[in-house]
Amino acid sequence: MTSELPAVMLESVSKWYGEVIGINDVSLAIDGGVTGVLGPNGAGKSTLFKLLLGRLRPSQGSVRLFGTDPWESTSPFRRVGYVSETEPLYEWMTALDFLTTMARLHGMTRDEAKERAEHVLDFVGLTDVRHKEVGKYSKGMRQRVKIAHALVHDPDLIILDEPLHGCDPLARTSIMSVIRELGNRGKTVIVSSHILEEIERITEQIVILHNGRLLALGNLHAIRGLLDKHPHRIMLETESPRELAKELISEDPIYGVRFPEEGCLEIQTGDLSEAHAILPNAIVKSGIKVTSVENPDDNLDSLLGYLVGG
Amino acid sequence: MDVQGRELSETVWTRMDRKAGAVVELTIRQLRHKISTWVVLSLGTVLMIMLLAFYVDAVREGFEPVDNDGDSVDADRDGYPLGQERKYGTSDWDGEQFPGSGTYIYEGEIDWNDQNREISGNKTWEGMSFLDSTWIDFDYKGGQWDYIIDWDDVTDCQDTRGEVFVDWIPDYSTACQLENGTYATNGKFTADGNLTVPIDYFLSWGYITGIFDVPKDPKEMYIDEDDIDWDGSGGSQGFDDDGDCLRIDWYTQIDGNGNMMWWQEPHYPDSNPNGIPCDVVWVIDPETGEVISINADSSVDEDPVDENYVGEAGHRTFVIATGKIAFVLLLGLFLPLFLSLGLVRDETERGTLHYLLSKPIHRGEFIFYRVLGYLAVVSVFVLILSLVMALITSVIGPGDSFVRLGDFPVWLGIAFTTILVLAAYGSLFNTIGLLLPKYGVYLCIIIGVWEFAMGFTTLISPSSSVASLSVSHWGLQLIDSVVLASWPDTIQFSQMSYAFGLETGLEWIWSPPVHTLDTNNPYLGIITSTIVLLGTSAAMIGIGSAVFSKREIM
Repeated sequence: MTSELPAVMLESVSKWYGEVIGINDVSLAIDGGVTGVLGPNGAGKSTLFKLLLGRLRPSQGSVRLFGTDPWESTSPFRRVGYVSETEPLYEWMTALDFLTTMARLHGMTRDEAKERAEHVLDFVGLTDVRHKEVGKYSKGMRQRVKIAHALVHDPDLIILDEPLHGCDPLARTSIMSVIRELGNRGKTVIVSSHILEEIERITEQIVILHNGRLLALGNLHAIRGLLDKHPHRIMLETESPRELAKELISEDPIYGVRFPEEGCLEIQTGDLSEAHAILPNAIVKSGIKVTSVENPDDNLDSLLGYLVGG
Repeated sequence: MDVQGRELSETVWTRMDRKAGAVVELTIRQLRHKISTWVVLSLGTVLMIMLLAFYVDAVREGFEPVDNDGDSVDADRDGYPLGQERKYGTSDWDGEQFPGSGTYIYEGEIDWNDQNREISGNKTWEGMSFLDSTWIDFDYKGGQWDYIIDWDDVTDCQDTRGEVFVDWIPDYSTACQLENGTYATNGKFTADGNLTVPIDYFLSWGYITGIFDVPKDPKEMYIDEDDIDWDGSGGSQGFDDDGDCLRIDWYTQIDGNGNMMWWQEPHYPDSNPNGIPCDVVWVIDPETGEVISINADSSVDEDPVDENYVGEAGHRTFVIATGKIAFVLLLGLFLPLFLSLGLVRDETERGTLHYLLSKPIHRGEFIFYRVLGYLAVVSVFVLILSLVMALITSVIGPGDSFVRLGDFPVWLGIAFTTILVLAAYGSLFNTIGLLLPKYGVYLCIIIGVWEFAMGFTTLISPSSSVASLSVSHWGLQLIDSVVLASWPDTIQFSQMSYAFGLETGLEWIWSPPVHTLDTNNPYLGIITSTIVLLGTSAAMIGIGSAVFSKREIM
């Protein structure tokens, strides 16, 4: 990091849209590494980002990007790259064209801009199709063009609003690796999502927003640890659920079983990690074939439910 | 400034340059990808092609000599043009009245109840009779209301209708022939013989005196017959070549009360009035040496040789009218209506605005660069159009030289004016698009109607103070100034057009610029109008920036 001032600093920030609250008294500092902003739709993620990008003015409190108010000055945007959630691009432009133009908007010369554009296209893996109009791109490719656009001026802070939304698994994987790579290079990256699993694969550092409030902040595993001690369900698909239930009920962390439907076994546990640790051995020992293991409670909703409820 | 400081300022400036270049270039490319851009530019081109076609057509037909004073007409179709009839004091409304036609003198009549109903002699007769003639003047002609008998169309009086003048009468202006060779007449004729008037009918007679032969002047004698007589200096000039102002030796008919006959209009030979009858007063500005006013007595120099003046004045009328109406009013309003209204608004609607706003560019700067990008597109278009118009009209226009080089500054001035007007409307409409994204177009249309109305008000009354509250007024004033600066003698042509009734339209489409701070200096007019138009653009961009900078973008 080049700056002494934190990349993002919010102090008691609130934003109301008339009667509706977007963000409620959020204080937050983010600097370095990848941070996941988690929250269901309407939690205030987009409002938070619009405040950071100077598109909205806080109703209360102060927002600072590298120590400067983004509503008053555009100078912090020199060091910020932003990937919006919305789809549109300039369909008639080629990827190279688009990125060159965007780089020039940062004050680069035509040659510098072109060089940088080629570089970031290579980074996101679009070099082969750089002369194709973005209108003809697949969803994942478009998403990568948008990410490349945010990187073209080599920013210190990169904000990605739901970058994985609507992408196929292959695109997800490549975008996630791009984001992790950025974090490894020492950039401050902020990624929003409403899917816990996605964030989990990218980073451990998370911020959870709920109804405009900052609900939790810190290491995902620590937060997950809390959640794991909460009653959990594990769903097993098997041909003979009753036999399997008999084998498993004797294990320590498992305190109950249910048969919700044909070929399906639900086991209840008070310690999810422990249960997962003993499950493979127990199944092998029983000799019963299990086709899938799922954790229906291991999602953002149950995490939020736990955090809010308890 | 130390080295570091200089480097820093250079960096800031060049970076701003580059960003401006990028936004401008992006805007140009976006406009190029919009269908409406091509539609509106094509319509503008079609408009100019149509105007050129009219112009070429007018030039190909040539400048036909025009009878500016209207004295070559022959309204009564007696073969004598109005100019010739005036000299002889005869009426051009009565075909019987023409130079040398003489006067009908009444002699007597047989009334419906007179006892003696027979008369003989060589006379001009009018009424109903049985005519036993020895001679008939088959060539006798008169006015169309005189019921002169058509001797080529005489019918047989033996008719199923019964006995003529008892059971039926011949139609007006006809005669029929009885078995014994006599004619039954109803109308006017000249003949020698014995006439019997049927009971209950009426016949009068007389003779025509003072007949003399006047050769008919050709119509062309009365076209372009009173050219402008001017030696180039000021003061009392002009000569009444066709004599219709001086009227020396003109024959005037006086009625019984000593008044002129009704068809001879009253005549005032010193209508200017400077004490000198039948002259033209030319007023020359001592500073510029240009004619600034012409005050002519009526009927002096009023039918000039058209080639010399109308061609030039007509060409200028075309150039100025094209500049004012086609360029400033039509292109000036319609291009920005289609191209500038959505410059920023459309980005918001499409959802691509954040690409531009998440960059280190101030929103005000951004608006300015967007308008610059739009201006680059429309300016190139307007410059090309005006140069093409200039090339074609300056080659085929009137004059001895191959190319009218003097036209080019005017066309460039028209392009310059149009670009300034496009800047003003462009910034205005863009700001309206920002303020009222949804209904802005309606406000723009209302403004367009206002601008058209004020444009035409300015054409009719250039000094109108209400009109000065419009962009079009200042655009049209700028063109008036440019024309005067490039063609200083336009005042002369305009005054000639007005003073001698040349009907070129020049005096209607052009007047000397108003906003010259009372100096009549066209260059001051150019400066004031340019400042007002640039100021309007700057103010509109300023308002747009202020609004946009304080706007939250959802």
